[in-house]
Formats: sequence, C-alpha cells, structure tokens
Amino acid sequence: MKYQSQAVALPYFVAAIGLFVGQILFGLVMGLQYVVGDFLFPEIPFNVARMVHTNLLIVWLLFGFMGAAYYLVPEESETELYCPRLALALFWVFLAAGALTILGYLLVDYATLAKYTGNDVLATMGREFLEQPLLTKIGIVVVALAFLFNITMTVLKGRKTSITVVLLLGLWGLAIFFLFSFYNPTNLVLDKFYWWWVVHLWVEGVWELIMAALLAFVLIKVTGVDREVIDKWLYVIIALALVTGIIGTGHHYYWIGAPGYWQWWGSIFSALEPIPFFAMTVFAFNMVNRRRREHPNKAAVLWALGTGVMAFLGAGVWGFLHTLAPVNYYTHGSQITAAHGHMAFYGAYVMVVITIISYAMPILRGRACNSRKAQVLEMWSFWLMTIAMVFITLFLTAAGILQVWLQRISDSPMPFMAVQGQVSLFYWLREISGVIFLIGLIAYLVSFFVKDGDKPATT
Amino acid sequence: MSGTFTKAMARNIFYGGTVFFFLLFLALTFDTTNALPKTDNRQNITPAVAAGKHIWETRNCIGCHTLLGEGAYYAPELGNVYVRRGPEFIKAWIVSQPTGAPGRRQMPNFHLSDEEIDQLIAFLKYTSEIGNQNWPPNIEG
Amino acid sequence: MHAAKHTLSPSLPAEPRLAGDLAIWIFILAELLAFGLFFAAYAFARAHDPALFAPEQEALNRNAGAINTALLLTASYFVVRAVHAAEAGRGRQGARWLLAALGCAGGFVVIKLAEYVAAFNAGISLSSSTFHMFYLSLTFFHFMHVLLGMVILGALWLNARRGRYGPRDMNGIESGAAYWHMVDLVWLVLFPLVYVIR
Repeated sequence: MKYQSQAVALPYFVAAIGLFVGQILFGLVMGLQYVVGDFLFPEIPFNVARMVHTNLLIVWLLFGFMGAAYYLVPEESETELYCPRLALALFWVFLAAGALTILGYLLVDYATLAKYTGNDVLATMGREFLEQPLLTKIGIVVVALAFLFNITMTVLKGRKTSITVVLLLGLWGLAIFFLFSFYNPTNLVLDKFYWWWVVHLWVEGVWELIMAALLAFVLIKVTGVDREVIDKWLYVIIALALVTGIIGTGHHYYWIGAPGYWQWWGSIFSALEPIPFFAMTVFAFNMVNRRRREHPNKAAVLWALGTGVMAFLGAGVWGFLHTLAPVNYYTHGSQITAAHGHMAFYGAYVMVVITIISYAMPILRGRACNSRKAQVLEMWSFWLMTIAMVFITLFLTAAGILQVWLQRISDSPMPFMAVQGQVSLFYWLREISGVIFLIGLIAYLVSFFVKDGDKPATT
Repeated sequence: MSGTFTKAMARNIFYGGTVFFFLLFLALTFDTTNALPKTDNRQNITPAVAAGKHIWETRNCIGCHTLLGEGAYYAPELGNVYVRRGPEFIKAWIVSQPTGAPGRRQMPNFHLSDEEIDQLIAFLKYTSEIGNQNWPPNIEG
Repeated sequence: MHAAKHTLSPSLPAEPRLAGDLAIWIFILAELLAFGLFFAAYAFARAHDPALFAPEQEALNRNAGAINTALLLTASYFVVRAVHAAEAGRGRQGARWLLAALGCAGGFVVIKLAEYVAAFNAGISLSSSTFHMFYLSLTFFHFMHVLLGMVILGALWLNARRGRYGPRDMNGIESGAAYWHMVDLVWLVLFPLVYVIR
C-alpha cells in the first residue's frame, strides 16, 4: 500500500463481499420458488426475494466500485485521498441505508413502506431495479455526490492519468444517469423510455468505463506493460463501447410503444455491441502475454482474464443472441433474458469487482499477495463460480428456448403457467448449479482466512 | 506495415465519438418524443389509470410479472391481460389470492378495495391499448 | 504515399506505412460497419417491398443529391491537396486547401438542410413510411458525420495555419483526411443506393 488513505477501501470490499453472499442466498431462495412455488410463502414472496436479490447486487457492486476508486485513485494520483474521514463516514451511511432498505423490504409490507417513505410525495418506487424508497434514492444521490467530491478533489490535486479520468467519467455518469430514477411519469411509455436511461446507460454505458478503468489498472499492475500501451487501448475500447452502446439503447425500445424505427437503429447498433467486449478480451490476454514481470498474485491475473472472457460471453454473445428485433419479438421477457442478465452481470461487473478485490485485498492486508494455498483455493472458487454460472446460463437458455416455443411460436400456444410446468426440469438444474455457485462462493470466503504460516507465495 | 498509434488520437476519438453518438441519441429521442402521442395511448390516461399505475407500483407487481415484457419472469405477462382475461376475471382472480395450492406459485392478497381494483384494471386496460408493434406474438403473452 | 521520399532515417528500409493513426482506422472501420449494416438492412427491406419504395424514392431530389456528390468529391480532392502540401513542407498553404474543403462541406450542409425542410413540409418523418425511415435515418446519420468531419477539418485548418503539419508531423492531418474520405465514401454508396437505383 503506497498511501495510507488507500486503507479506507478495505471496509468497502468487506461489505461488498458480505452483501454478495446475501444476494446469492436470496437467489437460491428464488430459484427454489421457481419449482416449489409456495416455498417461504407468505413470509418472503417471490417479488420481495427478487427485489432483495437485485438490489443487493446493485448495492454491493456500488460498494465495490467505491472501494476500488478509494484504492486506485490515490495510487494513480500519487497523493493521499482528499478526505479519508469523509470516505469512512460515507461507508457507514451507505451501509446503514442499504441495510435499512433491505430490512424494510423484508419486514415491512411494500405498500406501507412506500407510504411512510414519501412515495406519495414523489412516486418513484415499484419499478424494476429502482424499487428503493425515495429516502434511499436521495441517500444514494447524497452519498454518490460526496464520494465523487472526495475522489474528484483527490484527482485534481494529484497526477491525472487516463485511468483516473476514465474512472471519474464513469462514476460521474453513474450519478447523473441515476437522476432519471426520479422521473416517473404516469405515461407508461415515457416511464419505460427513461427508465432505460438509468438501467441501460448504466450497464451498457458508463459502467463499462468503470469496468475498463479497473481492468486497465489491474493489468498495468500485474503485467508491468507500459502504461502508454494500456492507456491507448483503454480509450479505443471504451470509444467502441459507447459508440455502439448509446444507440444500442434502442434494443429496449422495440415493444414498449416507441416508434418502429428503433427496431432498425437498435438492431444495427446492438449487433455491434459485442465488438468492444471482444476487444477487451483480446486486450487482456495480449497484455498478459506481453507481461514484463511475473506478478506473484496469480489469482488476480486469473480473475482479470476471466472478466474479459465472461463479459464477452455474457454481454457480447448472449446479448447478441436475442438483440435483433425479429428474434427479440419472440424472446423478449422470457427466460432467455434472464440467462443473458445473469451471465452478463457476473462476467462484466461481479468479476471485475472481484478482480480488483483480489489484487488489492492482500496489499491492504500488508502483503503483495496471498499464500500459495490461499491462492489455490481462490482459483478453485473462480472455476466453481464461473462454471456454475455458465451452467445457470445454459439451463436458463434451454428453459427460455422451450418457453418461447411452447408459448409463442407453436400452433397451439400454451398459457404461461402451463409452460412453466413443462420447463421445470431446467429450473431444477439451474438451482443445482446455483448451489454449486454457493459452494464456490464459500470457497472464496474461506480463501481469505487460509493461513500457510503467513508465507506469501513466491515465484 | 508500420503505423502510428497515439494515445492523444485514441482519446480524441473517445470524446468525439461519445459526444457524437450521444447527440445522435438525443436527436432520436427528440423525434420519439414528438411521435409518441400517436402510439402511447396518452389520450386514455384518466385519473383512474394514474391511480391504477400507483397501485401497480406500490404493490411491486413488476417483482413477479412482466409488463410489456419487462419485469420478472415468474408470473404471466400483464400488458395484454385485459384482452386475454377481461375485467371480471382479473377482479375475481385478485380477490381470491393466494390459492394456497401446495407447491404452486403463490400470489399475495393485497387487500385492495373494489375501487382500487377497478383502478388497477383501468391501468391494465390502458396498457393493453398502447401501440407497441403488436407484441406479444399471441394472446398468451 | 510518398513515405519513402521522406523517410527520416535512411538507414532503415522503407516499409509500407499506414497513413494516419491506427486509432482513427479502428474508428473508421466501426463506422463503416455500422453504415454497412444499415445499407444491408435497407437493401433487405427494399427487396421485400419494392413497390412501396419506388414512388417515394422517385420523389427525392436527385439534382440536389448529385450536386452534393460533386461537393463532397471536390472537398475530398481539396483535402488530398492539403495533405500533399503538408507533406511537401508547405503546411500553411495546405491550410487554404482545407478552408476550400470546408467551403464545399458547408455547401453540402446547406443543400441537405434545404432538402430536409422540403421533406418535413411534405409531412415526411421517420415514422411516415419504411422508405422515409431509411431515407431520413441514413442521410441524417451521414449528415451528422459531415458535421463532425467539418469540425475535424476546422481543427486541422487551425493547426495547419499555425504551421503544425509538415513531413515530420503528418499523423494529425492524415488521420483527419482519412476520416473525411470515409464520410465521402459512405455518401458515394448512399447516393446511388437511396436516390438512384430502382
């Protein structure tokens, strides 16, 4: 650790991992509810479990992004954080707000929660991924602004690198586009249209800047490749990501009441969206092949390479699979969407956060890398979680294809619930894969506590 | 073949390309905003529809159902449920939840008043009349 | 083109050189891919319903399109002259060629805007028909590229006036020129495809 203040990243990473565990547990609950419909009913209905599952994901990724920024920015800027105390205070505020929100979901009836948190003043709740009470949303904005202030001031007083500039752009974009979550017109079409300005312009826009910046940082550190080389590829890749991704928003505008031309615009530009992901994979492998040193943290290198591959598969390939309007006409809102969502989120954002944690955590704990034994276990967790996620995706894809066929294409379309019964085998298989994912996650947790005489791995 | 590859050029392309495509996106958004009145069924947004949307949101219906294909995929598409089932069926269905059938997916009872259910149905009727390029492919959603 | 002539270190063998920055070429390829897909989509949609496309296509102003083609080609020629001038160490003279190119591009913009005004007055919009959707989408997407091209030419002009470009520093002007030629090239496909071929 080069700068004292980088240490504030530690609690952020710990919280991120903790919430990740919660997310997976609720994922398993939902997976079971898919096949045993009344499981935990009425204590935790499916919609509550789903809200917790997706909101925990968003919150822990935000914790990861913030921790990453606190770790990375002082080192890149070659200066201490502008205000480490603010960072620490924000940690507790954000954690408390997040925990209260989740507890609110679980313990309070949603309509009651809405009533007591100001939803009648400004109705923003009850929309997918944006279920947070108004107070939480305002809290997110306040925390994000204070965080951005802290990080921006640090960058301004220190060295400005491409990585910090791109990271800042991504983080500012994240905060700015979140403001659209406060816009909820009664007109459902407008509501949906701008809802995507949060959701799509996050995950297929500004978050990609964050992801690319984190990946570039770790690659510079673990490969020793010249910064100049990494920087220019970073710019090319994010240029391609936004060039294709911004108009690519159109692939969400096919069937929500927007004009028909979005089918053409959306199909054409989202057909190009896999290119930046492919470039990112090639870039990561290339840099590792051209490495000028053997970094002892093998696990971090594995996560970095895995991010490239899985982001390409999940976001690139599985996205392309159903993005063309004539295909999407049949697959829209089916299990194919769920398959894509799972692998894309895991491959792009979960893995990039774990990459930076894997790289930074040992350093935050006072060593260059973990012991060999700990790293081997961490790599086991990589393969268990990644392969489990591949199978979750494959089973959901199979379920989706069958669903689309039975419900939308065949001559005598079956009702939704009848189809769900027909594909339940795949839901069981998905749940089993989910259990394996959990085992991988437990292995990951354990890897933090493996002691090998406190001997760091040597190369 | 040799060539130049500079960071300055890559950076300029990133900024230029981003601004360019965002402006293009804004231009398309502008056109969409002007074109929406023809398709989005806004003339039928009554106070009851607005109230119905509020009920839809505060019961987190999107946490299980899809609406115009967006939401969770656990329960049926409701964008066209007004056409598929009709108001009487929807009302009876909401009132009789949960079924309590063992092992089956359960929908909570939200204890809505008659008026609230009517408002919710008004919202679903309005939604079903949005011109959305004839999606879903058939009545089953 | 004349790279060998200007090789600064004669000890190194002259190898084929990519004119302009690799980054701009990646961007150009991505743009061409987007246009290519759009053209393919147009051809596909038109093949499905030629009868619907024909009368609306007929109504386009081919004279305006032809003049615009000439303007863009002339602008490209001026840009080539500017690059040559810079290569010969006469960068400031190149600035005047760039200004001439900007003038042609400005002419394109004026004519195109007149076409759009006429189209909007005739009630043509992105939603009025499939052909109109393609006509407006393709030409407007290209139109924005012309505007971006003009911004780039303007930046080149400013730099050239300050004497920045010469045999030692060709990267900027070559990259900008490559982009402009791409804009021109796309129009050379777009014009026959949308305005002429029936």
